[in-house]
Amino acid sequence: MREERHPGQAKIECKDITKVFIQKGKQRVHVLDHISLDVKENEFVVILGPGQSGKSTLLRIIAGLETPTEGHVRIDGQEVEGPGPERGLVFQGYMLFAWKTVLGNVEMGPKLRGVPKKERREIAAHYIHLVGLDGFENHYPHQLSGGMKQRVGIARAYANNPQVMLLDEPFGQLDAQTRYFMEKETARIWETEKRTILFVTNNIDEAIYLADRIVTMEGKLPGRMHVVYRVDLPRPREHTDMAFLKLRHEITEASELTL
Amino acid sequence: MVDIANEIKQQVQERRPLTLAMILTNRWFLYGVSMLAFFLAWDMAAVARVFSSGLPRPYEVVLQLWRMMFDPLAGKSLLGHIWASTQRILIGFTIASLVAVPLGLMMALNRYVNAIVKPLFDLLKPMPPLAWISIAILWFGIGETSKVFIIIIGTFVPCLLDAYNGVRLVEPELYDVIRMLGGNRRHEIIQVCFPAAFPAIFAGLQIALSIAWSCVLAAELVSARSGLGFIIILGMNLSRPAMVVGGMVVIALVAWTMSQLVSGLERFVCPWKREIDSR
Ligand SMILES: Nc1ncnc2c1ncn2[C@@H]1O[C@H](COP(=O)(O)OP(=O)(O)OP(=O)(O)O)[C@@H](O)[C@H]1O
Ligand SMILES: [Mg+2]
Repeated sequence: MREERHPGQAKIECKDITKVFIQKGKQRVHVLDHISLDVKENEFVVILGPGQSGKSTLLRIIAGLETPTEGHVRIDGQEVEGPGPERGLVFQGYMLFAWKTVLGNVEMGPKLRGVPKKERREIAAHYIHLVGLDGFENHYPHQLSGGMKQRVGIARAYANNPQVMLLDEPFGQLDAQTRYFMEKETARIWETEKRTILFVTNNIDEAIYLADRIVTMEGKLPGRMHVVYRVDLPRPREHTDMAFLKLRHEITEASELTL
Repeated sequence: MVDIANEIKQQVQERRPLTLAMILTNRWFLYGVSMLAFFLAWDMAAVARVFSSGLPRPYEVVLQLWRMMFDPLAGKSLLGHIWASTQRILIGFTIASLVAVPLGLMMALNRYVNAIVKPLFDLLKPMPPLAWISIAILWFGIGETSKVFIIIIGTFVPCLLDAYNGVRLVEPELYDVIRMLGGNRRHEIIQVCFPAAFPAIFAGLQIALSIAWSCVLAAELVSARSGLGFIIILGMNLSRPAMVVGGMVVIALVAWTMSQLVSGLERFVCPWKREIDSR
């Protein structure tokens, strides 16, 4: 039974998350330090931080793939206790099934949950269309370019109809042009099918282009939350917009103090 | 709406006029040149009697093989001897792979199986399969059983090892994908472990196959009344080099054919594998 939701309750609620890895039984790696973050329903929140600041670790904790040393994560008020299909995760390194076609990859979620074949084919077709891969259903991952691979990754996560989408530097491996193009696509997909999104990146422009809210992380371990920026620019956004550039300047200035 | 044309990988087929340089660098042309050069060198060496009378001319080998097709040796034509060796390999190879591959997979998936099997396996692994020939003959006599036994011993190791490593080297984040999508441990094994390990398993089968040929030859050289190893040893005893070389050539051809069949099976089972460009 699902709890009654209070109005204004956060969709994702991270409370005082601290993570310490124990390496080789002895060495302690303090990766996250008291991270608290609330994400509202259908909000697009971007976590912006430099390399090795614990971004992936935070996302994996919210996904349920790692347990926090301290603190907890709640989705709709329910504590996260392990990975599950109500959260969709898009991986930094695509992580497609090389032995499955685009269709086979996208329909994997519904298949694992026992959705009948005909129905899951329809679901897969819908999301393949949503990410613009019509005609590539029967291609194998190695036949696709990087941008197309990550489209498959996004469609695969969407196909489970998760309430929360977690994206871990999804475009980090793409060239600048494809990356810019995929950001536009992400905004379009999000406008078409609204979800609560937590998006990790190390790219300021990507953050401002996509986010309702930007959370910056400090540049050294343990990762701490630095500043939260609200981005109130109208969509679709323009990288050359004055307000865009002003915010970009503001974030850069503030980051340089700590980086 | 969506324009991904710039992302689609295109195969560009260029049209170029036929030039002498193109013919000279053509793959098939070069294959031909290298084969021709080899046979010419062989023939010249035979005519010049570099190995005195030990090296037959290529046409003599062909002639010898042709004769053996019709005149039985020890009651079997050439095809009969080919089948005798092939049969031994098929039996031994099948038994070994049917046991070793699942065992390797289970070792990788279950640490108790691993803890029980690994020490035994590590102990037996470094022993060359041919070291088993004498004991095999003592145990099973000189019949078919001892030959099949040697092949099983020889092919077991690569079959098991590659299946084991195939699972071990699976990218662990792929399991995370399955669990995020709502799958359980059984799904991880069926959807990730097995398919990801297929290419490694096939690599193991290929290695096992070539080892199987060494094993069957060694066993036939020691004691046999049939098989390609028998033809080679008979040729040696009768001082007929054409027979020895003929046996060697046939082995190469049959072994190559079997390895192509395994490759074909792999392409059928793993259609996702990137075609490795052979150029
Ligand atoms: N399982 C683990 N065991 C030990 N240390 C770990 C583990 N996972 C991550 N770390 C450490 O945590 C630190 C932060 O890693 P994380 O991947 O979260 O950073 P990131 O901000 O995502 O980096 P990047 O931008 O390179 O993706 C790293 O220094 C890493 O060594
Ligand atoms: Mg990361």
